[in-house]
This record gives sequence, structure tokens and C-alpha cells, in this order.
Amino acid sequence: MSSHREAPEIAKDPVADGTDTYAFVSKENPDSVVLIANFIPLQQPNGGPNFYEFGDDVLYEIHVSNAGTSEADVTFQFRFRTEIRNPDTFLYNTGPISSISDETWNRPQFYSVTRKSGGKTRVLAEKVPCPPCNVGVRSTPDYAALAGQAVRALPRGMRVFAGQRADAFHVDLGSIFDLGALRPFNEAHLISMPAMDGRNAVQSYNVHSIALEVPIRELTRDGSTPSDPLDPKATIGVWATASRQKSRVYDRKSGTFEGMGPWKQVSRLGNPLVNEVIVPMSRKDKWNSRNPKGDKVFDKYVYRPELAGLLPVLYPGVFPNLAAYDKDRADLHAILHTGIPEGVVPGFANYTGPVAADMLRLNVAIPPSAEENSLGLVGGDAAGFPNGRRISDDVVTIELRAVAGVTIPLVDPSFTPDGAAGAVTDGTTDTNAPLLDVFPFLGLPGGGYQTVPGTTEAS
Amino acid sequence: MPQEAVRMSEATRRNVIIAGATGAAVVAGAAGSASAATRRRNPRRAQEPVVALVEDPTSDELTLMLGEREVVVRDRDLVLRLLDAAGGF
Repeated sequence: MSSHREAPEIAKDPVADGTDTYAFVSKENPDSVVLIANFIPLQQPNGGPNFYEFGDDVLYEIHVSNAGTSEADVTFQFRFRTEIRNPDTFLYNTGPISSISDETWNRPQFYSVTRKSGGKTRVLAEKVPCPPCNVGVRSTPDYAALAGQAVRALPRGMRVFAGQRADAFHVDLGSIFDLGALRPFNEAHLISMPAMDGRNAVQSYNVHSIALEVPIRELTRDGSTPSDPLDPKATIGVWATASRQKSRVYDRKSGTFEGMGPWKQVSRLGNPLVNEVIVPMSRKDKWNSRNPKGDKVFDKYVYRPELAGLLPVLYPGVFPNLAAYDKDRADLHAILHTGIPEGVVPGFANYTGPVAADMLRLNVAIPPSAEENSLGLVGGDAAGFPNGRRISDDVVTIELRAVAGVTIPLVDPSFTPDGAAGAVTDGTTDTNAPLLDVFPFLGLPGGGYQTVPGTTEAS
Repeated sequence: MPQEAVRMSEATRRNVIIAGATGAAVVAGAAGSASAATRRRNPRRAQEPVVALVEDPTSDELTLMLGEREVVVRDRDLVLRLLDAAGGF
């Protein structure tokens, strides 16, 4: 979760595996939106000597839909290229790396940024440097300063960063995927056990992030910066993808693989957890290969989510109202596939039209909250998920509660949610690295030397 | 979008990598009967590695992948020549 290893095929291809997508109005520059796409899940910080890096053979993209068609109207492409400075050493670095341009970093990675819109393609920047991975206290002694050098300005008021970061997502993977267990509710589970606190399975791992700060006027359909939340032009759809070339051939001379042919999408991520727990296993790879505008074929899984049927079975007697609810889940369909229309939540809408499409839908006219509520819109904070997604939004709890029925009354006032629906949680809290107050906002990645291995128990 | 050509009798038949749906690949030598030495020079001839894919052996469709693009060729004769070559003939 939220999309770490979520489908059979992409689980075998971590370099292209999108893990989380974020879209929010910047607290730092409220006239700008921050778009973040994370890839390469569950990186152990000490995973050397070949530390993690973006794929030179992967096309990474962040898409924005702004015209109500759920098609990409603006796409930012990121293409990476890795160099080896000293071919005669096995070392990732041959001394401390104090500057992003230090020759001691033996495997620097660079990237280009391209903007595609309206049939036009414009290269915004080339050979933008990534920071190295956080190797350890000797190799990368001042990682904050080092990584800060990788924040670069782009034309038209944009900024970009691409490199390793601490994963900001929190979830109890070990429990949830052990027959849907939520540790705080262990006693009520069909296979009962003593209740306990949740364990954030992601807290010690890194990811690779592509972060882009873009003025709002660069993303809206008419180049405006809307101030009315009910203005249809105020809502944009956002998703990220990774693509590989259609064929891959082993080059015996170099011992590497070479891609040939057109790019084919292998990973997609808009709303968190959709491909993870809404789409059935047999359709997940297909879902990853498609564009959001074709998501009508997945409507049935949103209208009748398997998890909503499992909760009353796994927790007998806890969700009787949910078990008895036999209508399509129009609440989930609105949240995930069309956006919330005007009139459901007073003063708020992020409806993008009737085309069913899985996208983060961000109403850019909603300013950042001075005091964020990690439960977002269901917590009364319209600046948070499902209005886009902030880094600190507790999307696991939000979506668990939504699936459990707390959002049904938004569209069906005759329904009374079960008492447990508003309390459901996996029991984790945000125990990840502290977020930054400035772009790119994601916390610094854990260092290899500093990493303390966890423990395992077989029984 | 793939480029599509109806028959591509001038497609190079040397050093074509034949990749089936299983991913297994072999390198074919001179698969055609025409002599490569006497073939008329095509100024648009690919100068880079090419992957040829016959997804359906019963069809006339051949997909050629090179660089970041693909060309779809409809040439049953060429497909059969490649299939024969893949079979070792």
C-alpha cells in the first residue's frame, strides 16, 4: 500500500512501480500546486553497494487533466540517465560526497523534464542532477544540504526535485494482509487475538520521488488561478505513470538489456489503494496498463467493493448495517471515479464530469489549511484527501472508514453507519521521518549506516 | 501509434531478431531467397537493431520494433519466411 507492489506484474519490476501520488496546493507558495510521484517501494537504506536509482529505461510521467474529459491535457515527462565516472572501482562513492557535483560520487544520475500539452512538446530542462542515495555518515555527511542542491528551478516559475526520500506513507502491511486484521480490533476478528497497537510497516524504508511545483495557472484549462471552489475550472485531475518499451532484448556484449519499440504503460497511480484493494487480482495488471478515461470497466468494483463485503464477515456482528446495505456505493464512486459534485459537501466540489476515471481530484481554489486534519474532507478539512492528497493525509483510515460506510449518508441519508465504521483504523500513526516545511516537503531518506535492522519472528 | 505498411517486401531479411509471444528469440540468417548482395539500396532502411514480433502465426501481421517506435507490416509471405526460419528451415 498505497500502491507498493500492488499488482502481480509490477511487483516484479520495482524500478517502475509507482507507490504514491500526491497533489496539493503548496503551503509555501499558495499560487502553486505540488505534484509528487513516488516509485521504487520499500527501499532498505543500507541496500548497497548498488544503491537504488531511477530506471534509465523507464519513462516516468505525471499527468494533469483539466478539461473534464479525464484525458491528459498536460503531461510532464521525466527521463533519466546514469553515468559511471570511474569504471575501475566497485564503489558507489570513492570518498565523502559533499556536493552534488563531487567527482567522488561514482554513479551520478541526471534527468530531463519535458512538458507536453496541446500537441506541443517542450523540453523544460536537461541534465538536471539527482542527489545520491543517503549512504551513511561518512559518505553523505550532510545529506540535507546535499539533497537541497538537487532542488532546481524550471522555466515559468516551476521547481523540480528527483531523488531518494523517506516514504511518508504509514500502514500496517503485516496485519492488513494477514486476513484483513486490524490490530486494535484483533479481539473482534473472526480469528480472535488480543488487541494491540498497529505497526507502521513502512517507517524505515525509502522511496524515489519526483516532485514538481507548478504555478496553478500552468495547470488550469484557461490559464487562470481560480478562487471560487465551485468554479468547474478549479478542479484538476492528477495521476502518475511509468512506462517501459514494448520489447526488451539482452545485449550480450554489455550484459544489459536494451529496450526497443514504443513506450507501454506498466504502472499507474491516482487515488491511493484503488488498484490495491478495489481491483481484483486478475485485473490489476490490466488496470495498470490503461488510462483513467477507460475506467468505466472498473466501475463495478467501486460500486460493489469486495472489502465492504469482507468487513462484516471478518468482524462478525460489528458491521450489521453495512452488511445489510444492498445498493451500489455511489459515495465511493463519487469519491474515486467522478469527484464530489456541488451540493454534497457545502461550499465544496471536485467533480470532473461524468467520465469514470481514477484520478486524484484537486480543487485548487481551496487554500492550504493552517491546521491540517489528517482525515481530510471527512475530518472537516477540505484541503485534504479526497481533495487531492497531502503527504500527511491518513488515507488508510479515510478509505477504511469510507468503505465501512461513513460516507454513504453523503449520497443516501437513509443509511446509518455502524458505530465501528467511524472508529476503524489500522492503528498506525505517522512514525515516518519528519516532513520538510519547504519543497519537496518529503522527509530525508534514512541513511544506510544509520539503519538498525528490524527483527523477524516465524511464529 | 504504430506506423503501418501494406506489404513490406523490401524489409530487411538479414539479422532480424524473431521474438515470439513467449519471448524466446533466435537470430535468423538470410531468410529470404533474394540475395542480400543484389538487393536494391533502400534509403529508408533501418540502421539499428530491430525486433520482429509475430503475435499470431496464422495472420499476415508482423510488428517491427526499433528505437522508440514500431512498424506494423502486413505481409503473409514475410511472416511465413520468418516462421520457417524460426522453425529451423
